[in-house]
Amino acid sequence: MERLRTEGLGKRFGAQPALSGVSIGILPGEVHALVGENGAGKSTLIKMITGVYSVDEGRVYWENEPVTIRSPYDASALGIRVIHQDRQLIPSFTGYENLYLGQRYPVSGIARGVRWKEMKARGDALKASLGIEMDLSREAKDMSPSEKTMLEILRAMMDECKLLILDEPTAALTDREAEKLFALIGRLVKQGTSILYVSHRMEEIFRLANRITVLRNGRHVGTVNRDETSRDALVRMMTDAAGPPAESGRRGRARGEAILKVNGLSTEDGKVRGASFTLHKGEILGLFGLAGAGRTELLEAIYGLRAIREGTVEFAGAPLAPSPAFCLAKGIVLIPEDRRGSGMIAGMTIRENMSLPVLDRFASFFRLNHKRERREVGRQMEALQVKATGMDQEIRELSGGNQQKVVFAKAIMSEPAVFLCDEPTQAVDIMTREEIHRLLAGKAEEGCGIIFVSSDLQEVLDVADRIIVMRDGQTVAEMENEGVTAERVLSVCYRSNGEES
Amino acid sequence: MASSRVLTDRILRKYGTVIAGLLVIIAFSALSPDSFATAGNFITITRQISFLVIISIGATLVMSVGEFDLSVGAMASLGGVLAAQLAVAGLPMAAAFTLPLVVALAIGLVNGWIVTHFRVLSFITTLGMGTILGGLTFWLTGGATVFENIPRSFRYLGQTSWGPIPLLSIWMLTVTVVFWYVMNQTAFGRRLYAIGGNEQAARVAGVRVNRNKMAAFALCAMLAALTGMLMASRLGSAHPTGGDGLFLQAYAAVFLGMTAFKEGVPNIWGTFTGAVILGVLANGLTILGVPTFMQDIMTGAIVIAAVILQRFGRGRE
Repeated sequence: MERLRTEGLGKRFGAQPALSGVSIGILPGEVHALVGENGAGKSTLIKMITGVYSVDEGRVYWENEPVTIRSPYDASALGIRVIHQDRQLIPSFTGYENLYLGQRYPVSGIARGVRWKEMKARGDALKASLGIEMDLSREAKDMSPSEKTMLEILRAMMDECKLLILDEPTAALTDREAEKLFALIGRLVKQGTSILYVSHRMEEIFRLANRITVLRNGRHVGTVNRDETSRDALVRMMTDAAGPPAESGRRGRARGEAILKVNGLSTEDGKVRGASFTLHKGEILGLFGLAGAGRTELLEAIYGLRAIREGTVEFAGAPLAPSPAFCLAKGIVLIPEDRRGSGMIAGMTIRENMSLPVLDRFASFFRLNHKRERREVGRQMEALQVKATGMDQEIRELSGGNQQKVVFAKAIMSEPAVFLCDEPTQAVDIMTREEIHRLLAGKAEEGCGIIFVSSDLQEVLDVADRIIVMRDGQTVAEMENEGVTAERVLSVCYRSNGEES
Repeated sequence: MASSRVLTDRILRKYGTVIAGLLVIIAFSALSPDSFATAGNFITITRQISFLVIISIGATLVMSVGEFDLSVGAMASLGGVLAAQLAVAGLPMAAAFTLPLVVALAIGLVNGWIVTHFRVLSFITTLGMGTILGGLTFWLTGGATVFENIPRSFRYLGQTSWGPIPLLSIWMLTVTVVFWYVMNQTAFGRRLYAIGGNEQAARVAGVRVNRNKMAAFALCAMLAALTGMLMASRLGSAHPTGGDGLFLQAYAAVFLGMTAFKEGVPNIWGTFTGAVILGVLANGLTILGVPTFMQDIMTGAIVIAAVILQRFGRGRE
């Protein structure tokens, strides 16, 4: 009897189907892996099973009974627990106190005092039953990433847990810590707990999973037994193998001299660990990697927004000081991934946003020359066809696509030689997306160097002249974009570290 | 008539605070035409609010970068005491009034440095700094008002009038105009607003966030010290806690001002308007014989009401 079964599960956001026709079954004591590219629909599926999203199409069965899961509370009442990628603990609480989040505290008598001894005893008993060794009297903020994961799993086990969903549980763990987690998963499975395991890491999936479900573009491609498949076969399922090979990226642009050289760059926080590449004038360099591979972090480190531990960045033959102001002055500009958070100042006007990086150009003595400012801003708005009531409209009132055009117009104001574009077409309409592609191609033809980061692999294949693949904070492969297929890029992404490229 | 309602809404939101201020003035004029609504009293009001306006403009600068400076009151007290003591010590007036500004500059830079470099909340940093400054002032004075042996010339700035216009009122107007210019016509002002609008986006756009914030803190401390010195000059003596009371009123003026002109954004004319409203209320209510405690209750209620009304208006958008 299947513990959880879905039939033709579907979800739409507006007119766009995010998920359709997902029919999976999870057996008691099974580790069921869920794989797919960024945006394939894994998170959507989990959110539907756990009551975060409503079910638009299809049915969910729990132990053969049809159920409607309306909220995370409903899900946990059934015995479904999720461990999210980011830890959901209260840092200043001890392990014991965190265990009891969402639980009834054992209290005594009229004074309703918490019975700490009982709490402690129950936590210790649970710990022993799962064979976890850790000190629960410490505060969560002092625990290592793996201890925090263990603590969350313990918390999930406080009530009867029949289905445990683990979302990228090893992302923050070292290899040895991951081993402990795998051992724990083994013990849970022996007790009959079902596990839905989401991961990008193929070696883990092949080691743990009994069956593997593959999603692509919101569709259920298939569910296969671990023993009857291979990594290459899975990658083929995840990519649209039937799709046309990408057309050649180079469109007759001449690649010029090297303009930006990154050598063995590592960040203090370990998100980037030894990235090296060279960007040339007149090329669009696609930078691809799975979520968490360190693409955004690499761009931020180059631009001076993230502390660098070692390695160098050279611009036009001279070392680059890590500061946004210095980069802008030299001719490097970042189009940040988080538009609202770092790309624009929502409460300011289009004009004020656009002129911010080049204010000094309009300042004479202590006065801003508003006429010149308006002239240059107006010219740039026209060039990019920003649709607004005027340059004094607040940027927050614009559509996403037009906001992004303003962000680009602002970048162009500083006449950069290098564009660092982090997801420049996310949340923009198709028209704007194409305009941005044309704009970047035009800039490359003028001799600018462009780094293009996108989670949409097809877009990278369409736009880039050359592709660098990142994995675990490192640059692991470089390929000319000639006849490169999505399959080939992804097979590099899914290879584990230490394997030969 | 939807469009005319939208227009009315917009005008009310932008100028509602100013209109309310005018209504207050009209009401007082009607209630006491002989003592409130006279040219002499209006000039008196400008002199009375001059301290509040100057110190509030400093607070506006720091708030425009999204920070607080809670040490302005203590800084004002210290500034007044320092100037008085230096004058007593026989320094020329120019030095007696300049050195406290230099001290304030240093203190403001330290505030800004701690906030930006160690990422300590400005609320906490300046609360601590205010306490330190209070202690320093007490140490310098032994807790006693400085009034003996202050030369007559010390009182010039605070007590002279040019014709009918008190010099203090001219100081106030000058500071207001200068800082309106700084905030609205210079690159520096634009950068401060950019930092307050979205610090991370400003940094990405090449704004040197830390040094601009430090400059805001430094200017704020200097304006606070100037306020304290002008108060001491006006009174001909310096009390060790003389400026402390201005601190809460200064923030009341800034918050009132944020409901005017630039909605939700600290701005110089708004702060000026806020200080005028607070000053007119104090003056008018005193003339009407309302006791001070009642004035405090009313002032506090008005500040809260103004901010609620503004939120309300925005919510309907």
